[in-house]
Amino acid sequence: MRACQPSDDGHVEREGVKLYYEVYGSGEPTVVLLPTWSIIHSRHWKLQIPYLARHCRVLTFDGRGNGRSDRPTEPEAYRSAEFAADALAVMDATGTERAVLVCLSLGATWALELGALHPERVAGIVFIAPGLPLGLSDAKVSDSFTERLATTEGWAKFNQHYWREHYREFLEFFFSQMFTEPHSTKPTEDTVGWGLETDPETLIATRLGSSAHGEPFSDPERAAELARRLRCPVLVVHGDQDAIRPLANGAKLAELAGGELVTLEGSGHAPHVRDPVEVNLLLRDFIRRSRP
Amino acid sequence: MIVTPKPREQTRARYPDEEGYVERDGVRVFYEVYGDAPTTFLLFPTSPISHSRLWKAQIPYLSRHFRVITFDPRGNGRSDRPDTAEAYSYWEFVEDGRAILEATRTETAILAGICDGGGWALMLAATQPATALGVVAIAPCLPRLTPSHPNYLRYPSLEPLDTDEGWAKWNVHYWRRDYRGFLEFFFSEQVPESHSTKHIEDCVQWGLDGSVEALVFSDVEAPLPFASEEEARELCRRVRCPVLVVHGELDGCQPRERAVAVAELTGGTLVALEGAGHLPQARHPVKVNGLLREFAASVVPPKPR
Repeated sequence: MRACQPSDDGHVEREGVKLYYEVYGSGEPTVVLLPTWSIIHSRHWKLQIPYLARHCRVLTFDGRGNGRSDRPTEPEAYRSAEFAADALAVMDATGTERAVLVCLSLGATWALELGALHPERVAGIVFIAPGLPLGLSDAKVSDSFTERLATTEGWAKFNQHYWREHYREFLEFFFSQMFTEPHSTKPTEDTVGWGLETDPETLIATRLGSSAHGEPFSDPERAAELARRLRCPVLVVHGDQDAIRPLANGAKLAELAGGELVTLEGSGHAPHVRDPVEVNLLLRDFIRRSRP
Repeated sequence: MIVTPKPREQTRARYPDEEGYVERDGVRVFYEVYGDAPTTFLLFPTSPISHSRLWKAQIPYLSRHFRVITFDPRGNGRSDRPDTAEAYSYWEFVEDGRAILEATRTETAILAGICDGGGWALMLAATQPATALGVVAIAPCLPRLTPSHPNYLRYPSLEPLDTDEGWAKWNVHYWRRDYRGFLEFFFSEQVPESHSTKHIEDCVQWGLDGSVEALVFSDVEAPLPFASEEEARELCRRVRCPVLVVHGELDGCQPRERAVAVAELTGGTLVALEGAGHLPQARHPVKVNGLLREFAASVVPPKPR
């Protein structure tokens, strides 16, 4: 059951991949709640949609690889440029010239592409817990994802072999790191359920695609270059207890993009889920400021 | 020794407009008043295992439509902790409610309560019919009306036991050894719905705001209000106002037969909540708030009976 039903929904097809989108509310501006890593789908915005739809038009879509969108099998299909092109296709299909973008974690990479390469379509960007290789002394890049490891303890579960053999256990581990706040049993149950709507092979493809050479998710130079090119208003929201992406990611992005950084005390990697009132108010204020 | 600092009270969605104390036989009882609408809800507390924050999910909503009065039970919150069992008899809590209505110049009110508080609301309505516009009794407790819930009959509550397992924790010796352990067990049983960690944490803290000895007095040693089942039934029959009884099907504290008996004897309505435990006002607040508001709409102005 949902607090708010879409006023319109449908599929748009781009190069053979069908993407499912929903539109809520009406008026100006349009806010696009971008997909994040396809380990989950657009329902992760469920605490933002009913609130924001009272103030503006809201557009969501399921990222390729999960939800009601197609699941291409090759890693190349999950490069950030593909997600950025999907967002533009969905905006075109819904008559959305320009929008405020809101993204979570890996979604920062396609928001960066959109803002830097299609500035005329982007009125502003809110980055929540951005997952970018910025502000770190040594970016964590290794072969630990594809190689068979001797252990499955902790982050060793972030491994394709483990995913194939213990997919649910991986999801439970990952989301326990996402929700570090107490009383998170419901969001954990929700996200594990969404993770189970896709499958390990698809998720492996998303991982290989997003971490390929030159991708802003894995290449600090590329990420920094895109961030510096942003000209729109930028707000970065990052929890100081984020166990997946350190606050340093968000702080550096805000600095490079000339944006504002709001640090949420005690928040983990999904503050929009665990501190929805605070995040919704930040979004509302940001959207108000970017109204034409 | 590790001293855990007492946590600051959580922020509230709504703060009282008026607060004060009534004093009876040297015992001060703390009350709060929210809003100034024409119709008043008096929300009874329950035993000193908790205090008036138990209603935190009702107060902000109800006070948009009604005047709401809450109070802390003697033995917890900002009320005194008398040191005799007699001071914790059911009738004392009823009299505290009566005194608060008087102190706040409240001529009529809808009386609502959970568990013991549901019993107190019924007792006040039975003995002061001109005041009671209606009673909402959630998981009501009236001792002797029916047998107690089987959970309370598994082990003796006063004798030392050689086990702390499960309901053996309903035992004064265990309470004195590990009050927090008891509260954690008790509220885990009473809030069996999934995703209740926050509600349980709240209830445990409210329990710790009180004292073990007050609970021993009120829940084990205090004289019972009725000498027999018939006396309890007669009390119910004396209630003249409309009555709504709400009971969760997973309630591990008050048996369903007791809720059914209250509804039958008072001529009231029983709403059974599927999947709900003993504290539906905490775990199903939207549902319960809607029931409270609908009930109020049905009794104000009071229908002739």
